[in-house]
Amino acid sequence: MISNFITMNGYGLYVWLSFSLTFISCMVVYFKTKKTLQKYEQEFITELQALTLEERNKVLDTSKVAHQILATSSKVN
Amino acid sequence: MFKFFSSTNTYLLIQKLIKFINSIFFLILIIGLTFALVLSPPDYLQGDSVRIMYVHVPSAWIGLACFSVITVLSILNFIFKIKNFYFINKSIAPIGMLFTCLAIVTGSLWGQPTWGTWWAWDARLTSMLALMLFYMFYILTFKLLREKELIIKVSSVIAIVGSINLPIIKYSVEWWATLHQPASIKIIGSNSIHPQMMMPLMVMLLVFLLYAALIFLMKYKTEIIRIKKKNIKRS
Repeated sequence: MISNFITMNGYGLYVWLSFSLTFISCMVVYFKTKKTLQKYEQEFITELQALTLEERNKVLDTSKVAHQILATSSKVN
Repeated sequence: MFKFFSSTNTYLLIQKLIKFINSIFFLILIIGLTFALVLSPPDYLQGDSVRIMYVHVPSAWIGLACFSVITVLSILNFIFKIKNFYFINKSIAPIGMLFTCLAIVTGSLWGQPTWGTWWAWDARLTSMLALMLFYMFYILTFKLLREKELIIKVSSVIAIVGSINLPIIKYSVEWWATLHQPASIKIIGSNSIHPQMMMPLMVMLLVFLLYAALIFLMKYKTEIIRIKKKNIKRS
């Protein structure tokens, strides 16, 4: 039964190749997208930290998104 | 209502949706794979090679759906100048490109044992290849052009011209004699697919849709951060 599952009655190469190619390309896109997102989050925080305290508070007061990015990033790192 | 779609609310909603999809994705993926690779029966003619359908068909549907969304949003953006549509399209295009490529590659892998050839220049296969090229040109406009107004104009033209290809893909199997089989699943009319195969196909479609939504949300979130980063520089 296990050998039938692996060989797929002679179609194993095509079936497994289709599923693995799909899985691998989806994983690559997922990790690439995640890496880009984290890179931008990090760059945003670096730029925020480069501001003076007054400027930083002004940005944080006006932007809830900035707060969220800081919160998410501190959880991730 | 427009206040609800502010970048703050959108950002919070995106965070929640990403968490939600992450929490259910692997469970649905395992269910889908179990159905597709173990529980669904082999086809009486194609044998176990029919299992390729569970990755090929959802990929093709999502590839087509993404381009349809891009076309509609491009037209709306052209008329109403809603800048969010530009970012949505920019985030959707790579997903559509990925799934169109997967549909072509898995179709080729299905074609070899079924038709005895990896590729044929028949109407369905060629029109899918054309869709992939439209995606490629569409994405290249974002990579190569610098001026935003020009990007919107060029990408909208590509999307609108490319949309002519969508009905050709859909009806190619009816208009011409093709190697590709006619549609087994119809929105109107009866389906010629057995429920034991329909069920895994729908679960796998759900898996692919959740994955596409997850990538879209991550890409859109990146765009929001990019805008906020520019705003810091300005302030």
